[in-house]
Amino acid sequence: MTVRALVIDDSRAMRRIVTGTLEGFGYETRQAGHGQEALDVLHEGWVPDLCTIDWNMPVMDGLQFVNAVRANPGWRAVTLMMVTSESEHGQIVRALAAGAHEYVIKPFTADAIRDKLALLGLLPQEVSL
Amino acid sequence: MTVPTDSGERRRAGDRPPAIAELIDEATVQEITEQAWLALVGEDEVLVPLPAPLPADTLSSWVEIVGPWTGSVVLTCGRDTALALTRALLREHAPEVLEEEDVDDAMGELANVVGGNVKAVLPGPSVLGLPETGTTPPPGREADTCRVDVLWRGEPLTVSVQSHAERENEVPL
Repeated sequence: MTVRALVIDDSRAMRRIVTGTLEGFGYETRQAGHGQEALDVLHEGWVPDLCTIDWNMPVMDGLQFVNAVRANPGWRAVTLMMVTSESEHGQIVRALAAGAHEYVIKPFTADAIRDKLALLGLLPQEVSL
Repeated sequence: MTVPTDSGERRRAGDRPPAIAELIDEATVQEITEQAWLALVGEDEVLVPLPAPLPADTLSSWVEIVGPWTGSVVLTCGRDTALALTRALLREHAPEVLEEEDVDDAMGELANVVGGNVKAVLPGPSVLGLPETGTTPPPGREADTCRVDVLWRGEPLTVSVQSHAERENEVPL
């Protein structure tokens, strides 16, 4: 079964890196440049298994996006993983309290993403073997 | 009634913000930059800590940090180096012809990652701004800057953690 991920980051370069990493794990991906664009994707009916979310973005930042997703019971099954350079302890606590499941600090390696996905049970079987 | 007491921990309005040298050193900035390079630019990409003059045509990217310490983290390198960095960052996803937007985006993300990790070392809470790119970074105080000079693939690159220039004009209340 295909696992779907929505990669949300205002940096095109970072979107390409995260997307490439996830596609290497067998994910089907889409991208969004900020939180509002990501919400639009969800509203159009493309609900992913995983969202990777940058914190600092224009229009709608990552924390606002997490709050918006968690406010919609229909999106309860979506796993939210912050992937951000925002590494202050208080900010990590805020994101997790708002409903993010995991937190990856940039810079990251593909192995770090793989480990987090394995913890979340979101690593396709063929990759985890 | 409880009378609030001042433990002395909070900064008073007239206090000067801390100088950057009291908060972070060159070795830490170098280490943060190296980690960003290894993860984003490539596992074999080494930064050699050697100063060298920057070329005339440079590009900078920066992020602002606002908090108990306020200033900017600025990356500066030659324009050709910025192009090479963008290609290294995008790897196989790099278009055949890079557009200015691609370079601005890649340089901005490098500043964002380095800046975010610098911010984590500084006293908080602080707010990290969105990355910006250009030929003229915000002015900093030369005497209140933690600067690291490195060579990447033999080309010079600087990383500066600089307090805002406004500090010079600040008058303690």
